[in-house]
Amino acid sequence: MTTTSAKNLFIYGSLLCFVVLVILTIDTMGKLDQRAPVITEKVDAGKKVWHKYDCIGCHTILGNGSYFAPDMTKATERKPKGYLKKFLIDPRAINPGTAMPSFGMSEQEADDLIAFLDWTSKVDTNGWPPKPILAAAAGTRTASMGQMLFQKHDCSACHQIQGIGGTAGPDLTYIGNERPDVEWHIRHLKAPDAVVPDSAMPGFNDLSEEELRQLAEYLITLK
Amino acid sequence: MKYQSHQIALNFYTASVLLFLVQALVGIIAAFQFIWPDFFILNFNTIRTLHINALVVWLLMGMMGATYYVVTEESETELWSIPLGHLQFWATVIAVSAVVVGYIIMGLNPQANIEVFGTRLLNEGREYIEAPRWADILIVVSVLLFLLNCFMTILKTKKFTAVQGVLLGGLTFLALMYIPGMFYTKSMVKDQFWWWWVVHLWVEGSWELIAAALLAFMLHKLLGTDVKVLAKWMYIEVGLVLFTGILGLGHHYYWIGTPEYWLWVGGIFSSLEPIPLLLMVWDAFRTTRETRGVVENKIGLYLTVAHAIFNFVGAGLWGVIHTLPQVNKWTHGTQLTTAHGHLAFYGAYVLLIVAMIYVTLPSIRGVKEFNQSRGFQSFWWMTISMIFIVITITGAGMVQTYLERLLGLDYVTVKASYNLWFWIFRAIFGVTFIVGVWMLVKDVLILGRKPAA
Repeated sequence: MTTTSAKNLFIYGSLLCFVVLVILTIDTMGKLDQRAPVITEKVDAGKKVWHKYDCIGCHTILGNGSYFAPDMTKATERKPKGYLKKFLIDPRAINPGTAMPSFGMSEQEADDLIAFLDWTSKVDTNGWPPKPILAAAAGTRTASMGQMLFQKHDCSACHQIQGIGGTAGPDLTYIGNERPDVEWHIRHLKAPDAVVPDSAMPGFNDLSEEELRQLAEYLITLK
Repeated sequence: MKYQSHQIALNFYTASVLLFLVQALVGIIAAFQFIWPDFFILNFNTIRTLHINALVVWLLMGMMGATYYVVTEESETELWSIPLGHLQFWATVIAVSAVVVGYIIMGLNPQANIEVFGTRLLNEGREYIEAPRWADILIVVSVLLFLLNCFMTILKTKKFTAVQGVLLGGLTFLALMYIPGMFYTKSMVKDQFWWWWVVHLWVEGSWELIAAALLAFMLHKLLGTDVKVLAKWMYIEVGLVLFTGILGLGHHYYWIGTPEYWLWVGGIFSSLEPIPLLLMVWDAFRTTRETRGVVENKIGLYLTVAHAIFNFVGAGLWGVIHTLPQVNKWTHGTQLTTAHGHLAFYGAYVLLIVAMIYVTLPSIRGVKEFNQSRGFQSFWWMTISMIFIVITITGAGMVQTYLERLLGLDYVTVKASYNLWFWIFRAIFGVTFIVGVWMLVKDVLILGRKPAA
């Protein structure tokens, strides 16, 4: 190969690749709106809040960002919105152990941001993030009714037991020692902020009295 | 100093190594924040923004310095306008300082990041391209003045060499690819789509063109190899870089809400991206082996070959391990990306600029012999430290992928407990990395000014 032919191959080959990229880009742009919900004014306002506070400086979204804090793509699926709102306004009042600082976010901004995160959670991402394949296999064999309810309602999204689970709410590993009273747990599960002032946990009123009792009995076994 | 214009190249080199030191120092703060989030007065987001913006700016300033040098030497004339070169240097320094002050103000008081004309005043809140719109415009003006000066210089003597062509072609491509990042989109998917045009087509496109051109220039200057042979291989390399790299962009479009065909496009083309980088390694070795006679600037050659090797290992191998969609589905957005980022930038671009400085600085200062031992020491301190940094982050990424992604453990738990030791080791090697950077800065300031020991 001569230098000139190598040069021509470089110039025309690259141009061809670029043309293909432009064609694929045009095709993609035509398809993106069908793969995501409609963008309302609130969602757009939320996106602006996302940019204003440079959230991507710590978090990732759609897997891109800073790897210092959890991915936000499915945040509204993983955490109750009521919790998220209180947390965004004053993170450490809700979860003293969190690394997230307070930015002075207003209620309006928090609502908008949650609307934006709700929008991202519904984008068709070709199945990302995948469901953890080994989680389903862990600890389900000899579960009591209460333990199954704990799993069914995804309590571990916020609470940890022996190192497994989220850190948004208190660790429940020794909750049976700390709160041995079944009746307290039932009242708390129904309406958390009636028992613990300013609690960001959502109430679980959709559970029957019997289910609440089973769940509470499971909780006091944790010690 | 043969050309007065080389003073401008020297100014850019000095500013770039000083910013490199700043980048490494804030990197250490960030590393400690992984262990202790409240370690510093500024939060992690501001520190990380400074860490990466400093990197991008110092590499760009290094490339500009290198280009001013190459253009004058290849064209065998002074720059078209020396005052314009100085003006462009100082304008860049002032604009960059203003942006940094803005980041710090925003870090101390997030509410100061107000909206002005539909855009943010201090920080755009978009990764890597956080610089606000007013700064974007200043950056574009600065790059246009730089390109104008270089093109007019080439037109003066009309010596259209292959190296100059690819170098300035790459820089023009770089300038154009900044534009897709300069408009607002309501959709986060479209936002990230165009954002990747900037980020990917810079580092896996135009920057690799600049690297290939500078590699050919350095091999010629160090070894006296025939320009024609170097030019042929350079064209083949940059051709393969763009054939694989342009559509390799697809590996960023797997999971952000883009159609499924990108899994195929990205998977196939990005898997081929290491090939041109391997070719560059072979090119560097072949050229070195075929050289007769003694190489005077051993440290320059050493760094050039090291750049080629670590470009292949960091950008090529560390990238290709998680580029297939089947793997990336589990590893996307984990510390493995951080590991790849660190080794790729170190190998492909940090060593490129450092090599370029060592290849050209003796000529700028007008010496043939100089103390090379400081350069070797700095290289080994930085390189060994970076290898360990990358090993620790790779380990953290593997643990994270397994525990968080496969086992379903909470992100914060994995980061705060299971990965703690990786963060501690990373911080220690970060400190030893700074020792190397400090040696480099000192050497750039004094090289050739005192008689060789």
